[in-house]
Amino acid sequence: MTTDELEQLLAQQPVSLLHRLARGRVHRHFRAGKRRLIELLLQHSSQNLAGLESDLQTLIAERQALPQRPRTPARRKEEAAPTPPKRQHPPTTGGEPDTGGPAVSLASWLEGIGVPPPQPFVPDPWQVEALAALAEGDVVVSVPTGSGKTYVAIEAARRAMEDNRTVIYTSPLKALSNTKFTEFSRLFGPEKVGILTGDRQENGQAPLLIMTTEILRNLLYDAASGEIDVRLDTLGLVILDESQYLADPERGVVWEETIIFCPSQARLLLLSASIGNPQDIADWLSSIRTTTCRLIRHNKRTVPLRAGYLHPNGKLVPLFKTASIPYGHPNHIHPEAKRLFMQYEEETLPSGRPRR
Amino acid sequence: MPPSIHPVDLITALRQKHLTPAIVFLTSRRACDEAMESFDHADIVLPPVRQEAIDAVLQQVIAQYPSVADHPLIPTVRRIGVAAHHAGHLPSWKIAVEELMRQGCLDAVFATTTLAAGVDFPARTVVITQSSIRKARDFTDLTIGEVQQIAGRAGRRGKDQVGFAVIAPSPYIDLSVLTKGLTGHPEPIESQFTITYPMVLNLLKAHPLEQIQSILAKSFAQFQLNRRAESLERKLDALHVQMEPFGPRICTDWITQWQTFDQARRQRPQRHQPHHESPELSARFHFMTPGRVVGLARGRGIVLRQYRSKGQRHPMISVLRPNGTVTECPAAAVVEIFDRVFDCEETSSFPWCSAASFDELCYQLTELPPRLPILPILVSQESVPLPDTVVQSLGDFPCPTCPSRPACQKDFAIAHRLRQEQQRYVKSIQALRASLWHRFQERVDVLQKFGYLTSSAQLTADGEWARLIRIDHSLLITELIRAEAFSGIEPAILTGILSSIAHDDDRPGSFPRISPGLSSLLGQVRKLAESLSPYEDPPLLRADVAAIAERWVADPQLTWIGLCRLTTMAEGDLYRLLARTLEFLSQIHALHATHPGLADTASKAIALIRRGVLEELP
Ligand SMILES: Nc1ncnc2c1ncn2[C@@H]1O[C@H](COP(=O)(O)OP(=O)(O)O)[C@@H](O)[C@H]1O
Ligand SMILES: [Mg+2]
Repeated sequence: MTTDELEQLLAQQPVSLLHRLARGRVHRHFRAGKRRLIELLLQHSSQNLAGLESDLQTLIAERQALPQRPRTPARRKEEAAPTPPKRQHPPTTGGEPDTGGPAVSLASWLEGIGVPPPQPFVPDPWQVEALAALAEGDVVVSVPTGSGKTYVAIEAARRAMEDNRTVIYTSPLKALSNTKFTEFSRLFGPEKVGILTGDRQENGQAPLLIMTTEILRNLLYDAASGEIDVRLDTLGLVILDESQYLADPERGVVWEETIIFCPSQARLLLLSASIGNPQDIADWLSSIRTTTCRLIRHNKRTVPLRAGYLHPNGKLVPLFKTASIPYGHPNHIHPEAKRLFMQYEEETLPSGRPRR
Repeated sequence: MPPSIHPVDLITALRQKHLTPAIVFLTSRRACDEAMESFDHADIVLPPVRQEAIDAVLQQVIAQYPSVADHPLIPTVRRIGVAAHHAGHLPSWKIAVEELMRQGCLDAVFATTTLAAGVDFPARTVVITQSSIRKARDFTDLTIGEVQQIAGRAGRRGKDQVGFAVIAPSPYIDLSVLTKGLTGHPEPIESQFTITYPMVLNLLKAHPLEQIQSILAKSFAQFQLNRRAESLERKLDALHVQMEPFGPRICTDWITQWQTFDQARRQRPQRHQPHHESPELSARFHFMTPGRVVGLARGRGIVLRQYRSKGQRHPMISVLRPNGTVTECPAAAVVEIFDRVFDCEETSSFPWCSAASFDELCYQLTELPPRLPILPILVSQESVPLPDTVVQSLGDFPCPTCPSRPACQKDFAIAHRLRQEQQRYVKSIQALRASLWHRFQERVDVLQKFGYLTSSAQLTADGEWARLIRIDHSLLITELIRAEAFSGIEPAILTGILSSIAHDDDRPGSFPRISPGLSSLLGQVRKLAESLSPYEDPPLLRADVAAIAERWVADPQLTWIGLCRLTTMAEGDLYRLLARTLEFLSQIHALHATHPGLADTASKAIALIRRGVLEELP
């Protein structure tokens, strides 16, 4: 989609949707009117229009999956969006009248369950974009869990090593480091991969080193105080996985120290689960590092998620009125789930009434 | 009705609806273990092919990690295809379970929510049974980010068309926390930057003091503080505009002049005492400005305006409550003032702000994270009454006859309030800009006092080696080394001491008896830790924990099973204790240039700890 098409599509959306899109992207977005909001959205996401577009499509799809108020469908016809949003789930089968919210049936909630047909591996646009951006400068990736951040880490590491640069990959937990050590050794060959932990070094001269973030921080301190570690001269890439740990009350400071002292010739790649303010992190990096930092983000889950409610008696019902999760609408609970949960609370709480 | 679904029924329901494999997050390790036990007599047995597949994977893992072989859960895992995975298990067991999951051999894994972040394997379905987790001895509601992290494990790319997050309630679950978590936008993350002693020493080793401030300015903490300062600066600009009509009059500083005059005028006749208001309340009332989030006895609210009640002149506020109502309440009823202010376009009539602000605030109020930082409020000393001499000399004030008097009298209240606000903003901005630097200087003072830094903030000889100790409780450890507490001690005793410093869990348990040597040294360590407590939080220093680590090193014949029998501690905890102690020991070992004897003891201890299970993993 071109920028113009995207702008048009944005203009066709109700302002509330634009505000939701702007959350975490545009500072103080609730202050802006519709025109200004669209301008700001395009401006702030100019580096990552694909991400903006995919989030927009998600929001549009969700809106349409929601119970419609009578006037909305009529208006939608004349709008004729350039890319017709795909419905992810068939309409509810119950055939209830369209008043105030027909709720999805269990059968259609469960529909589509199973294994998808095997497909050749094609990197996602955001993965390609992240790798391309890394050629220019630092990159922050903030995408939902299970999207495929490891692929970006692996490809980025491969490219840096082909360039004869060394790579450091850090994870917050020793256990995760071990898993990645096994995985990367299998991929690149055991001679290419080393691991450093608090008390042991294995293959410490390898071009791809795995360690916890604390160990990297210590290495950087040693380098800064003159006990130069040769590997830091050729260091081309530092990957910080699970960097949402930046917000960990006890250990978050280590991520900050690592980022502050990361040598300027090395690219930084921060991989994070969805967080509320990834733009802040990217802006911060841009403000302290020699290159500008690109943010690659999206909130759309690759494998769609549905929520259900399982009663102690074994009865399973959809949790929300819609099959997919109604983002932004916590109260769109399925009437059946609501009834069962109230029954649950009444029977399990001694006072017979819900807490709070 | 049972308070929560029986694990056997849960697995049956999931299998029947083809919702397996699933990760079932439970409240505690105990709940996970009990869930596993409940399958002992269950007849939902796997077909032989699947049992064989499980065997095959387990054999592979055992070849690499022999400690997996005798795990008591193996029979249930084979028979039913379910497993438990939590911090009480050895890493090797967790690796085995993860491998089984990856190969698609299991129908369900019971895990603890506390460890959701450490669970790095996906499944088709995630079962959530609670809405809060234990953090630092207290249950707190899951944040949106946490709920999404947990639910995010559902739906494996390439293996599932759809993923499912299923809520199976257990007592005390709050459904709204979960529905909000599932449908909401994750919270913004906030910097948790702190300045530690090793950080100060390492920074000063590499950079002169003049450069430090600019290095600290590179932190995310400062980045976020600057953002807040900038928003205050914008407010300050707006205040300047509002102050324009109140510029210099006949006296340049007419506001102070009028204030003194007014105060003197009131004080002279000794009229009735002004309302009795505690200095705390007055100080806090300043901060209850429109847009501020406050905590009341029942829930939170956002202040819409502040005023004083008609008769008694009590400080009052109008508060927006989460249900969208506006209530009037005395400022004294505010329990907590949070460090969170939203923009609020004030108006002079109900609801005291513009409709747009009202909507936005209602929205913000429902979106607030469960934890908010509390604003620290300094209580100023009670305002000192003017000295009598000033009061006597009331006749010296030009005010009574000044032509500007009516204007001053009229404008004083508002001008004074604006000026106070201005001063407050200026102070806040200064604090935001300089707070990291001040904290750094505080640390420098302490390090100077103890002799790690010279008066010109250079590293002393002790500072040079102390900077290599980059772990928690570094000050205690370096002070112990300087006090020669460790000189000539056995590796086992060094291990015991370090493990009691490293261990930060207060879970009770039964442990072996401690040796007299370790016990007396631990007494010395406690005293020192106590004396350092103004500068560093003391560790738990549990004698029972020290004893078990000591035993492992002192008795090389002791097997892992034998060690586990000596205590009620879970083997995963035991493993973590020793692994963390190893880390501490290797930091001590790094001091070989300056403390060869101690480093040697540390390396002996490291060699002795590393056996059996502790040798299995890198
Ligand atoms: N472009 C892609 N197409 C198909 N599958 C992918 C793609 N990228 C990644 N995957 C798969 O997605 C799964 C989850 O990836 P992972 O990197 O662990 O996610 P994350 O780290 O973002 O949580 C893996 O099994 C990976 O093989
Ligand atoms: Mg990952």
